[in-house]
Amino acid sequence: MPYLGGKEAVKELRRALSNPNIQADPLRYRNTVLRVIRMMSQGADVSSLFSEMVKACATVDVVQKKLVYIFLCSYATLNPELSLLVVNTLRKDCQDPNPMVRSLALRSMTNLRLPSLVEYVEQPLTAGLRDRAACVRRVAVLGWAKLSNLQPAADLDAAVVNELYSLLRDPDPVVVVNCLRALEEILKEEGGVVINKPITHHLLKRLKDCDVWGQCEVLRVLQRYRPQSDDELFDILSLLDPSLVSPHPPVMAATLSLFLSLCSDLPAVSLAALERVRGPLLSACGSSSREMRFAALCHVQLLLRSVPGLLGEHYKRFFCGYAEPAFIKQRKMQVLVELVNDDNVGMLLDELKGYCTDVSMDTAQTAIAAIGHIGRSYSDRSLEILTGLLTLKQEHITSAVVQTMRDLVWVCPQCSDTVCSALEGCEETLQDDQGRQALLWLLGVYGERLTSAPYTLEVFIDGVRSEASLGVKMELLTAAVRLFLTRPAEMQDMLGRLLHFCIEEERDMCVRDQALLYYRLLHCGIEETRKVLQGRRSDPSLGVLIGRQAEPISQWASSFNTMDALKKAAVETETASRGSPEHVATKLKADLDLPKTLDCCPDDALDNLYTNPVLHTAVFIIHLLSLSRAARSNLMNTPF
Amino acid sequence: MIHSLFLINASGDIFLEKHWKSVVSRSVCDYFFEAQERATEPENVPPVIPTPHHYLISVLRHRIYFVAVIQSEVPPLFVIEFLHRVVDTFQDYFGVCTEAAIKDNVVVVYELLEEMLDNGFPLATESNILKELIKPPTILRTMVNTITGSTNVGEQLPTGQLSVVPWRRTGVKYTNNEAYFDVVEEIDAIIDKSGSTITAEIQGVIDACVKLTGMPDLTLSFMNPRLLDDVSFHPCVRFKRWEAERILSFIPPDGNFRLLSYHVSSQNLVAIPVYVKHNITFREGSSQGRFDLTLGPKQTMGKAVESVLVSSQLPRGVLNANLNPSQGAYTFDPVTKLLTWDVGKINPQKLPNLKGTMNLQAGASKPDENPTINIQFKIQQMAISGLKVNRLDMYGEKYKPFKGIKYMTKAGKFQVRT
Repeated sequence: MPYLGGKEAVKELRRALSNPNIQADPLRYRNTVLRVIRMMSQGADVSSLFSEMVKACATVDVVQKKLVYIFLCSYATLNPELSLLVVNTLRKDCQDPNPMVRSLALRSMTNLRLPSLVEYVEQPLTAGLRDRAACVRRVAVLGWAKLSNLQPAADLDAAVVNELYSLLRDPDPVVVVNCLRALEEILKEEGGVVINKPITHHLLKRLKDCDVWGQCEVLRVLQRYRPQSDDELFDILSLLDPSLVSPHPPVMAATLSLFLSLCSDLPAVSLAALERVRGPLLSACGSSSREMRFAALCHVQLLLRSVPGLLGEHYKRFFCGYAEPAFIKQRKMQVLVELVNDDNVGMLLDELKGYCTDVSMDTAQTAIAAIGHIGRSYSDRSLEILTGLLTLKQEHITSAVVQTMRDLVWVCPQCSDTVCSALEGCEETLQDDQGRQALLWLLGVYGERLTSAPYTLEVFIDGVRSEASLGVKMELLTAAVRLFLTRPAEMQDMLGRLLHFCIEEERDMCVRDQALLYYRLLHCGIEETRKVLQGRRSDPSLGVLIGRQAEPISQWASSFNTMDALKKAAVETETASRGSPEHVATKLKADLDLPKTLDCCPDDALDNLYTNPVLHTAVFIIHLLSLSRAARSNLMNTPF
Repeated sequence: MIHSLFLINASGDIFLEKHWKSVVSRSVCDYFFEAQERATEPENVPPVIPTPHHYLISVLRHRIYFVAVIQSEVPPLFVIEFLHRVVDTFQDYFGVCTEAAIKDNVVVVYELLEEMLDNGFPLATESNILKELIKPPTILRTMVNTITGSTNVGEQLPTGQLSVVPWRRTGVKYTNNEAYFDVVEEIDAIIDKSGSTITAEIQGVIDACVKLTGMPDLTLSFMNPRLLDDVSFHPCVRFKRWEAERILSFIPPDGNFRLLSYHVSSQNLVAIPVYVKHNITFREGSSQGRFDLTLGPKQTMGKAVESVLVSSQLPRGVLNANLNPSQGAYTFDPVTKLLTWDVGKINPQKLPNLKGTMNLQAGASKPDENPTINIQFKIQQMAISGLKVNRLDMYGEKYKPFKGIKYMTKAGKFQVRT
């Protein structure tokens, strides 16, 4: 328990640190300092020992020095005045004959990050830039970057910047890379280090000498360079070619990113580069590190947006292993969906079917959604699997299947018959809101083909009093009115009861308004109601939209090898699994005179229309607008 | 670049933190803990977690999360690879990378982290150089240090930093000059119900232990270099020569290092060394299930399959199992439903077999999923891909070194579906 008894321990440590007997014995002294660091690393507050630790810094023992520096660097900002005392020792160390001590002192001095110390640090740092030992120069170069973070860039001497530029030609590759890093930070305001032709070619020549990290850095900085002629461009590209197939995924990704930015006007060259990275990328997907696999898969997804056929024959690489974490399985399935073709569809579906009974609910749901997605092109086989899954009577599986069927039916109306016959009886296993909403939607739209539809709705309507979910109530209202339009005789009584409850007893304004709206709509006449509620049936030509066209590479090139690549993919899955046909419909309604504000609203807002119950009515307003003016005024003025 | 690093154990305690720029408060890890709580299994924590002001990139190894805090745009692959390098270094230094080892060596850990990153940028990551900057703790040295009060820090500047060959120090001397190479291959495979291979892949490495005086220049040639289609080398290997002649030519680092790692993935090339005959069935309405499993060697070129261990996660409804192994011993954990069978060596004349019944919970319905069987094994003296070293020559030095090569095949993720 590091937090308990901390006070006592600190007191005891202070006594030990100021004990002259301990100070005289280097070993005991160091062990005491070590205990302080231990406590610090456990999260205890040992800042009150600052003055004792400053004294411990004046020692010949390098390890103790290192330990004290670790302490000082964490607490210096709390005690700027006392830190001044350390500077002298540090400056003395900067003159030490041992280059390691020199670099250590220089590094710690800059790590203190105290604005008041800047004037003392500048002189040793300048000397450090001209030091004989490369390791001191490495530290000194970065030291300037830390310094410029402390004080505004304007104060930094222009001579230093010039010196840093000249150190770009240093014989030591790490110094070169550190120079780039430092200049990037110092010149942040001016857009970073200037990359002109001589610097570019110099850096490219040195690229081979750098370590992996350095190569990534150089490649990233070079993205800002624009070659002046085609000849130069191709020279650069052929220099970069070996690193494109580098066995280190970071280097490979950085090179590809540079390739894409250089060849933004030459799509054919970019495509050839994508072909070339296929091998390294695939091996990164099979890397032994889970996290690497995950990141590589995200990048594969980006690539597939432009070249869907790139990995077609390697689809087996994306089959999930038994013990893989859920986040990788989900990514792999999303990739698999993209890779489906006539030859492998049977294998893929069999494989995905196996994942549907996964222990993890999220994985199972993703697998089911993936089958649904494949169903857009191969509906018969997918539906066979989906209906098979319903017989398992597992709650979460049934829910996911019904949601998937709803999404599938919207884009492939030809499978509605199979779906309708599969729906019988699954209302008993459905528990969660999302699944029940999907079922209600299906009942409303395809109710005329389902003999038991009114009876299922009746169960829902009888239980509406104890219904907790807002979304389900809204969906129930819509479904009931829709079904009334097709099977009035069976529904009339039920609908009346539901509307009565919602208008008279329901507490939630949203549901009440919705019910009122339907009530008044029905007053306007059946034809008007039909226009509003049955207007947005999907039409089979929508299927064309599903076969996704290859996007141009420039769409995603800028997010390649950035955090964006990992993040964006996450958002896509969110909408893909949650999105409901309703919002697809609103997007596609070109003939509707959408109000200006809604017309230009981003997709997120349209998502909200569906997911956010408060905005739910907005969807209907849009449809109401398609009614004639007379009908509209009639609707608003009907007394209740 | 990398702002801070937090080390978090499986129970959610931060036991080490290191900041390379300003100090980031521990509270940033709360987002991580949230994700950890949401994940059912420790490995299900997503590797990238966005927070309002930072990104948290984490790597899970040896049941420890290494969480890097990122404040600006960075290539994610870069950070992940670097974190793995940190773990590899710890493992190299302490033998194991556990929470206890890190806590015991907290000073060395801090020193290492300090040397590996400066201002968030990678500085020295090559293990040879690091080992000269900071000597790894050994039992002997710890004792000597305690008695004499000397330190773990190298007294001299690492020569590697000045030499033309950055990975090798100058002036190496040995009385026995020797070079050993281990070819280790791991086979990852998924076998389906009927025994046909769904995927199979070989991950191979050649680890070397080279103790040679001076600056030797080695060349290593293979009988069948075309096998290797996807290779990654230690930086010492001259890539041009490999591309032109398919020969490995290099000045080796001193001591242990990984010379190359490779994949062999084309399916027809991958031989499967073990086959499984299985019959695991549950009948509707009966509370018993049958279990029958036989292992046998296949395509092993006459080499024995050793240290075989079979494990399988049986369905949740299984209460206990009464099985009868023809050799070895089996255990069944009724809580986790994990069946493990320690087979030992496979005798091709008398194939090992595990047979018996499983008892289901009374009244429970037939489990709908079939268990997957994981197999571990080892085969000495054989590389399953058929890779063979032809010869090793040394130039640049006059003495005659002692040379040795060893082959081994292991099962990686080897699964059989039933």
